[in-house]
Amino acid sequence: MAVIPLLVAIFACLCAIVDLISGATEPRRPPRTGVQSMGLSGVRQFLWATSFSSTCVLLAVLLLRKRAASLRAFTFLIAFYVAKTLVLFRLALHFGVQSRPYALTYWSLSYVDDAIQFVVFYELVKKVFCPTGVWARDTRRAFQWLVAASILLALGLAMLASPPTARWYETYLLRSNFFVSVLESGLFVGIMVLSSTVGLPWKTHAARVAQGFGACALSSMVLEGARNYFGLGPGRRAYGVVAYIETVIYIGCIGFWIVSLWQEAPAPRELPEAMLMQIYTLQRRVEGDLGRIRNWRRS
Amino acid sequence: MTLRSLLFIVLVGLVFAVLMGVAVRYLLRSRRSSQTTWEELLGRLVHLDREKIAAIAMDAIDDSQHETFLLEPDAIWTMLGGMDGLERLEKNCQVLIDLATYVQRWHPEALVVAEQLRLNAREIEWHVGRLKGAAQAGNLQTAFASYAQRAVATYYLMTRHVLELYEQVSFPELAELKQAI
Repeated sequence: MAVIPLLVAIFACLCAIVDLISGATEPRRPPRTGVQSMGLSGVRQFLWATSFSSTCVLLAVLLLRKRAASLRAFTFLIAFYVAKTLVLFRLALHFGVQSRPYALTYWSLSYVDDAIQFVVFYELVKKVFCPTGVWARDTRRAFQWLVAASILLALGLAMLASPPTARWYETYLLRSNFFVSVLESGLFVGIMVLSSTVGLPWKTHAARVAQGFGACALSSMVLEGARNYFGLGPGRRAYGVVAYIETVIYIGCIGFWIVSLWQEAPAPRELPEAMLMQIYTLQRRVEGDLGRIRNWRRS
Repeated sequence: MTLRSLLFIVLVGLVFAVLMGVAVRYLLRSRRSSQTTWEELLGRLVHLDREKIAAIAMDAIDDSQHETFLLEPDAIWTMLGGMDGLERLEKNCQVLIDLATYVQRWHPEALVVAEQLRLNAREIEWHVGRLKGAAQAGNLQTAFASYAQRAVATYYLMTRHVLELYEQVSFPELAELKQAI
């Protein structure tokens, strides 16, 4: 499985080289928007370059420090980000950021991004809550409630949003993005609460990745809320400001992950197989005893 | 600005504040609990007479005895120290769970033990809750024998469970723990 992100990364790097050699210096099609060929300001280009390079560094850390094997979905997501940026960069270079192909690709990839993020969430939850491979019964039930509550909260808020837009699909896009960000905020804060309640270690790599996602999701909820409030009015000024802030927060999160994943997590002392079996046997025995206590005066 | 937009922005702000508050609170809580020392944990245990607890529990559990339930409700009440004793027992349940999660810092597999203890503690809470309700209704005497002995037996098994866990992972503080619970 670890080969997939590696292949994506290699593909992405090849694309980058091709872009740098051919596209960036000499666009194949004349740009639509003048000297700023992509239609982006200097600050925006700087932020884009910074976020791209920091994502590449994170991918390198995941692969070089051998974290990819234990965080497969997350590594895949980061590789996807690298590839996504390259694809969008290419399109921006050829058509400009205001073009239809760019917008179509941008929004389509956003949904793929959301889908992968939910897979990453599942991966992190499995790592945090099932160190033995088995769900704790009370944790699973609490987790199911958490998912249901988060979906309801996100649905409620998304239904309430009424962004001022010109076209129906713009409303749909803004609302759906807001829905995802509220859902993720609820889920990540929920797993933080659950893991703290059951006393699970919160310094593992999986937990650090979840913390980063939690921070990103919470800030994204506010930003998407602002987008839904201001909508896509004339000039899209508010939309642009939100995009700046979003990129800065994203770079911050990537930085946090680079530092956390570079460092070694506190290594758990693994129990020998025989001891593990003893713990399970003990659990079954105690369950049996408790069953007897529960039944003792019922008959 | 329409009323709907206003309501939306207020609700988003409110949900964000609540989620942020909860996240910070639990982050601090887990940081605090990860720094709890062994001495602090043991210091939270309230004194209970181990032998009396074992006697009440074994009266119900032990199959090897010829007859079970030899203890009269009055005797159980006295041995346990009435409702105060039960409330102390309830407090100690949380410490027992924390003792299991303390091991989880190094052995994540101990999660299964902590899970079982959490379920047991919930059960004891339920029994004690029923007894408090019975006390308010004036039925404590009839309810006590049934619920109190069940709670004590469950608590006793919880202590055995924690001790066996510490024994299995060869925890250096096992002897100290045996003295405390």
